[in-house]
Amino acid sequence: MSETLFAQYFNEESRPLDFYLKKMGGYTASKKALSMNQDDIIGEMKKSNMRGRGGAGFPTGMKWGFIPKQSAKAKYLVCNADESEPGTFKDRDIMRYTPHLLIEGMVIGAYAIGANHGYIYIRGEYTREAKLLDQAIQEAYDAGCLGKNIHGTGFSFDLTVHRGAGAYICGEETGLLNSLEGKRGEPRVKPPFPAQAGAFGGPTIVNNVETLAAVPYIINRGGEWFSNLGKLEKSGGTRLFCVSGHVKKPGVYELPAGSVTLRQLIYDHCHGILGDKKLKAVIPGGSSAPVLTADEIDVVADIEPLMKIGTMLGSAAIVVVSEDYCVVKLLARITRFYAHESCGQCTPCREGCKWMEDIIERIEHGHGREEDLAMLLDISNNIAGKTLCALGDAAAGPVMSFVKKFRADFEAHIRGGKCPSA
Amino acid sequence: MGKKLLSEKFYKSMEKLESRYPSKVALLLPALHAAQEEWSWLPPEILDEVGAYIGVHPAQVREVASFYTMYNLKPVGKYHLKICTNVACCLRGSEELVEHCEKKFGIERGETTPDKRFTVVEEECLGACGTAPAMMLNDDYHESLTVSKLDQLLDHLE
Amino acid sequence: MPKCIIDGREVEFTPGQNLIEVAKSAGIDIPLFCYHPGLSVVAQCRMCAVEIEKMPKLQTACSTMATEGMVVKTKSEKTKENQESVMEFLLANHPLDCPVCDKSGECDLQDNSYKHGSSYSRYTEERRTYLDLDMGPVIKKNMNRCIHCTRCIRFGNEIAGLREMVALKRGNNTEITTIDGRPLETDYAGNYSDICPTGSLTLKDFRFKKRAWYLTKVPTICEGCSKGCNMEIQQDNDQIYRCVPRENLEINRHWLCDEGRFNFHYVEREDRLVDPARAKSSGIEICDWGTSIDAAKATLEGQRVAILLGSDLTQEEASSVLQFKAQHYADSPIFHFGTPGIVSSKDDGPEDRILKQKSKTSNLNGMEKLGIPGFERLPAEITAALVIRGGRAVLPPEIDGIEKVGIGVFMKDQAMMFSAILPGLSFAEKDGTILNYEGRAQKLKRAVQAPGQSKSLSEILMIWTNRKNSHGVA
Repeated sequence: MSETLFAQYFNEESRPLDFYLKKMGGYTASKKALSMNQDDIIGEMKKSNMRGRGGAGFPTGMKWGFIPKQSAKAKYLVCNADESEPGTFKDRDIMRYTPHLLIEGMVIGAYAIGANHGYIYIRGEYTREAKLLDQAIQEAYDAGCLGKNIHGTGFSFDLTVHRGAGAYICGEETGLLNSLEGKRGEPRVKPPFPAQAGAFGGPTIVNNVETLAAVPYIINRGGEWFSNLGKLEKSGGTRLFCVSGHVKKPGVYELPAGSVTLRQLIYDHCHGILGDKKLKAVIPGGSSAPVLTADEIDVVADIEPLMKIGTMLGSAAIVVVSEDYCVVKLLARITRFYAHESCGQCTPCREGCKWMEDIIERIEHGHGREEDLAMLLDISNNIAGKTLCALGDAAAGPVMSFVKKFRADFEAHIRGGKCPSA
Repeated sequence: MGKKLLSEKFYKSMEKLESRYPSKVALLLPALHAAQEEWSWLPPEILDEVGAYIGVHPAQVREVASFYTMYNLKPVGKYHLKICTNVACCLRGSEELVEHCEKKFGIERGETTPDKRFTVVEEECLGACGTAPAMMLNDDYHESLTVSKLDQLLDHLE
Repeated sequence: MPKCIIDGREVEFTPGQNLIEVAKSAGIDIPLFCYHPGLSVVAQCRMCAVEIEKMPKLQTACSTMATEGMVVKTKSEKTKENQESVMEFLLANHPLDCPVCDKSGECDLQDNSYKHGSSYSRYTEERRTYLDLDMGPVIKKNMNRCIHCTRCIRFGNEIAGLREMVALKRGNNTEITTIDGRPLETDYAGNYSDICPTGSLTLKDFRFKKRAWYLTKVPTICEGCSKGCNMEIQQDNDQIYRCVPRENLEINRHWLCDEGRFNFHYVEREDRLVDPARAKSSGIEICDWGTSIDAAKATLEGQRVAILLGSDLTQEEASSVLQFKAQHYADSPIFHFGTPGIVSSKDDGPEDRILKQKSKTSNLNGMEKLGIPGFERLPAEITAALVIRGGRAVLPPEIDGIEKVGIGVFMKDQAMMFSAILPGLSFAEKDGTILNYEGRAQKLKRAVQAPGQSKSLSEILMIWTNRKNSHGVA
């Protein structure tokens, strides 16, 4: 493919500030932005049709526009680098190979919303990436690209790396903010939304790594240019697809948004299924996305097309499953994860996820009952849309879709008492 | 409180970090990480010392520490193997790795060898799905693992 | 006032009011667990979710503010389905041990289960269980019954000002507890039991004493300090089993301190003197009313008498004493007493940041209003005292050395110092008015019958007045 924004730099050489300045036009965008009107920056972001890369796909420009101009309390820009949705591993590459893109993107974002403090909330396991970010941040401070009076413009922005400590729910933005504040990472009741009262009570924007790292490009080359990279309306830029599971070449693939189908990703870019086996299932947007069968993969891998067929692009994490892997076992694993990660605040998620886990594990081990499948659909329906945050939906979606689409596999376990694909 | 158990270095680094946050409570997660780096796990006296430093009730430290899986509230072995068994890793054979470790060390997942050298746990997604199966050995990632690569790694540990 | 529509009815509301409160004002009860009007809103239990027109998902009524024209359905199919589902989730791991649970009969979980739950459970997996550590003398914890509403955590954090109750671990394994079996530190711990919507936190003092449905509830005022917290005495067959707070948003909101809550125990102490008595060389001797009044009169006759009035007495009682004084002891000085170091309301003030006042009697303000000065020291000429008190006022040590007659509530060891005791009523046994620290008049209400031969103060003073002395004059 043609030019990529990130992937071409995914190697160790790109990391130092020197490379960033010389080969990537580093910190020219922040120089430009800091001389711009803040509304014009937000306008460019709106034009770019950048939709948040964390999973929800919310238009970034619009989000920035929600921040009140005047605020008695300090405003914050927070980067969500929790990358916790299973199947997702793109932000890690950005942080370890092109950390300055993220830092510069944050300087611009902070200026646009009027924040003088920012945090990169990085999942605790990424110890190496946290250290690399710390080093890059120090480089940026030393070069006058971060800290007091950036580029001599009078604008100041301090950036701190804050490590999580092992909790999926901290990828949810209000759970993240609680964790940043030194609390349990329990999601908050909304409203108020973070743009009104977020980190430490101040107006706050939380953006994903990939979202922020694209900002320097948008400022340097224009929102329209970025928007035109995408092949669909309302979805600009390129996308980092994370492909994992039973493909020959798993990895991060950067492609223009809306330019590729799941089939093309799996068979063209990733060279097909391991051992040339048949495809059984594809999870298109991180493990919380409803599953697709092998017949459903001629769909463009982007937000709207996937939504139309009842699933989601999420964080563009595509998990590929071949014919000989037990889907009941897979669902049991997925459900166990959500039960493990439920914060426990709200009733349907706390009680329901574990209940579903127990039932699916029973079925997997040959102790299923005929009524279990109807009950699973009922329990997942009682969770979906009825919880405080989206974790309930994340747990319910896979259960509903696996049971509906692979019902025969579940029934075979229940009736035969063992796995038919074993 | 008697003699301080956490080092001078711990307190210095926390003092430095304090200016980064508008509230001292926000130091809780970084402080627990730093304390664990010194002690390898977080016994109650350490948790209480962290709470006293930050100025919160000891119960508040416990509720936060116990929410996150990375804080070891029980002692762990010198080598803490956290093998990811989430979706992408289990599709690429992580279960085999866990079972191999169980056999090799004669323990079950979640346990520590009697000589306190190895702890083996199943871990949720490590965000390294493209290079599955992945594992953390203490703070470091090891990816695209196979049983033989794992053996090679473990056999070269002190 | 703006209006919204709840279940087809137009309901007025104040902007900022949530749907639970708005519905309540129209007599519509939305079932709930985690919401408590005195605590922050967390929208966790999901029981109060209701259908709102133009919103695709159910919305929790606790966290949704009413808006003009909002159309809310609290009894629609969708709403009911959710309520039934939440009940099923909550009961999945609940032990259903209502027969041996103290909360039974006044349990939100039980009531909501009855109203909104199913009579059949589909849950067949293993139940979650916990081992409970002790939490100190006030509260007994039974975590298996807990539904994770976090009211207790919020009470500790937001009201008691102590993060002593916390959630440990997370998800399905979350345990709500103090750490390491530490006792609760707050002296407002009883409230933990009041606000618990299940039998997870029960009062040790009340456990297994009485089924809730046998209790008669009498609204009255706490006499533990000058705050005047509104509370309820709960009794059966003239025995008090417990006191619980009554909501009064201007005074105690929803709370009661432990000192006030457990104060009632003196009323039922075995060593409370409930019969008239007089001094004997070997101690005191129970006698009839006539004998004890004669002994009282004899004690004070010919002496220079001071009258000491406990500021735990009601306005009506104090007024009757003033009349009595005018008739019999017109020249005697009169003082009120109650709390060491608190002579007047100027010495009173908040003892903590929650409810407690420094004055440990309930009617300091009332005494001042009647013009009775606070006791500081005995005037030099005084040789005897008539001491009248309820059960709270602390006897000043200055009266140790002089002859005394006591009217009111005395324990046997206190009674030893008196020449005669005329047993009176405690706060739980009488009606009357008291003025709290800010001068607000509130009513004590009789909850139980006077024990033994004890009588009301006005009756005692009447007998005293009517009893002819040895010279044949009243």
